Amino acid sequence: MATEQPAADHTDDIQREIGHDEYNPVGTLALVFIYFVIVSMLWIFVYFVEFLGRISPMVVF
Amino acid sequence: MGVFADRYPDEAKVVRAALASSFLALLIGGAMGPLQTLHRIDYLRIMPSESYYTVLTLHGVALVILFTIFFLVGFYQWAVTDSLDRPAEDIRFTWLWYGLMSLGALMASLAILGGFTDATDISASVLFTFYAPLEAHWLFYVGLTTFIIGTWLAGADWFRSWWNWKKENKGEKTPLRTFMVLTTMLMWYLATIGVASAVLFFLLPWSLGIVDSVNPLLTRTLFWYFGHPVVYFWLLPVYMIWYVILPQIAGGRLFSDALARIVFVLFLVLSVPVGIHHQYLDPGIAEGFKFLSASNTMFLLLPSLLTAFTVVASIEHGARQRGGEGYFRWLTVLPWRNPAFTGMALAGLMFAAAGFSGMVNAGMNLNYLVHNTMWVPGHFHLTVGTAVALTIMAVTYWFLPRITGNPIFSMRLGLVQVLTWFVGMVLMSNAMHRVGVGGEPRRTADPFYDFEFEGVIGSIGELHLQIGLGALILTLSLVLFFIHLIFSWFGISSTTKITSEAAIRKPLSGKEHAPAVLENFRLWVAIAAVLIVLVYTIPIASIIVDGGLFGPDVAPVRPDHAPLFGLSGLSLSTEWLVAGAAGAVGAIAAIAGVLR
Ligand code: HEM
Ligand SMILES: [Cu+2]
Repeated sequence: MATEQPAADHTDDIQREIGHDEYNPVGTLALVFIYFVIVSMLWIFVYFVEFLGRISPMVVF
Repeated sequence: MGVFADRYPDEAKVVRAALASSFLALLIGGAMGPLQTLHRIDYLRIMPSESYYTVLTLHGVALVILFTIFFLVGFYQWAVTDSLDRPAEDIRFTWLWYGLMSLGALMASLAILGGFTDATDISASVLFTFYAPLEAHWLFYVGLTTFIIGTWLAGADWFRSWWNWKKENKGEKTPLRTFMVLTTMLMWYLATIGVASAVLFFLLPWSLGIVDSVNPLLTRTLFWYFGHPVVYFWLLPVYMIWYVILPQIAGGRLFSDALARIVFVLFLVLSVPVGIHHQYLDPGIAEGFKFLSASNTMFLLLPSLLTAFTVVASIEHGARQRGGEGYFRWLTVLPWRNPAFTGMALAGLMFAAAGFSGMVNAGMNLNYLVHNTMWVPGHFHLTVGTAVALTIMAVTYWFLPRITGNPIFSMRLGLVQVLTWFVGMVLMSNAMHRVGVGGEPRRTADPFYDFEFEGVIGSIGELHLQIGLGALILTLSLVLFFIHLIFSWFGISSTTKITSEAAIRKPLSGKEHAPAVLENFRLWVAIAAVLIVLVYTIPIASIIVDGGLFGPDVAPVRPDHAPLFGLSGLSLSTEWLVAGAAGAVGAIAAIAGVLR
């Protein structure tokens, strides 16, 4: 006997409706900031790999 | 609302057919993955090294042409039908383009498989870039062409639906998903001009013996004219999934409809005039044009960064609606047990990492360090191999019930599957990047000439171990994916039927706030055309002037340093006048298009 069921969508987990004006994506801001810091640090690191590597290999992976 | 498979049974059939083709290609191409990996790190060699290119061609073509594009057409058919809420205009036409694509895929695959046997002289071990002077059997080129014509007709089918919808809904803005489909296809039409002319005018006649030489730099440049935008053809359906489905699963709403549309328009405008960034090391293209492509490429980071913001903000909105608090604690209330969510989130995370290696690739000077090394496959196994492939696999845990009416076999199995893909790829891709910076070349069965280096942590041998281990974990993940796929697709071991689905929730800032000019497709195509003309006319003209349309005098293409913009060697020969005039006509036509 086949049972019927809706496709899972997590609609039931919503506890409150947050509209456009009440919503401040501060968590997103925090994550984007962390990504920015990581990429900047990697970018500085590349300087050692690429440019100083020409004189003598400072960093080999 | 009833489930898609019940509301549009005929369209759902096409969607399922396209997905079946896509996953078959994933199976075949994926199976080549461990084979070639274990071969090149010299762990397990069950084929002669001479077959390596045949295997690698199958891997490349099956995964980045067939798997991705068959998925795209299936998914886009769903997107158009569902968002316009109207059936296909003529389902026979829909089957026609699917049939053409399948026929083309079959021809190209047979041509590649011919490379494994001596029984026939058919072969196509030319890798998915099919650079001349590598030559494939004509069956391969005809197959690719047929496949691409199929995609053109698919686009025409969706445009036709949209035109008819517009007639009945005057003054209304196009629904977001259809808007995304149309911008993607416009980009595709512009992009495929390159590969179509490379194949039809040069490679196909050459393989048929009608002409006996081609100019490799010309066909290569035409390939990359297409080769960069094709990566957005893989990526844009994934962006649609991240914009539309991911917030849905997270319990939130898309942050901004307008921002999503702007991103797609930016891709339409900027995708094509960057292809030369794959040719930084090609002699015969002036530095100045390489620089132009490099700076256009950096502009292309913008829509991807906008996407990162919009998608994360939409997920965060979901987390807050589910009761999440704080700067970071909201992350814990997200539905991490759902493989669709977790798979996509991890795919997005890997894409962020790929953003960094991509910036290195795109930088003209840094590119010299990594060009043609294993760094490059390391990079694109994060982009197409994970951001795209893992999102496609993850979305099936959401999508399949809607198009088959059967429930997912096991969400827990799904979670293990997406996690193993992530772990395997972290190992494999990271180690590929590192051996690449050390100088290990890509695309070779035997990267073992006198060549050893000491890493900060670990030797080359340990990095190879990581690559091999990663490859095996990825293979396991693929096996799990196919178990889920078969059981879920056919509803094996389940008596439950999925009969209804929730509608996609409206964006926080809806389409009424999207500027009307975004729908002016003519304008965006015209701007894209102007950029293409600016970036490509002189390089292509100078390639033809230097090497001739068909070669054969190709070897000494500007052996010296290429002058900036190619202008210093400029003499007013007739070829240059013709090239200049052609460029001017193109530019005027494009500007006229903008103004009308
Ligand atoms: C089991 C999973 C996979 C493994 C073990 C694997 C392994 C590899 C390796 C080692 C290479 C480099 C070979 C060489 O340059 O000599 C490669 C190339 C490539 N892979 Fe994968 N891969 C996997 C999955 C994927 C996926 C899912 C995609 C895309 C959707 C993909 C797309 C490509 C492409 C386009 C190439 C370049 C082919 C060429 O250079 O012509 N791979 N793969
Ligand atoms: Cu590119």
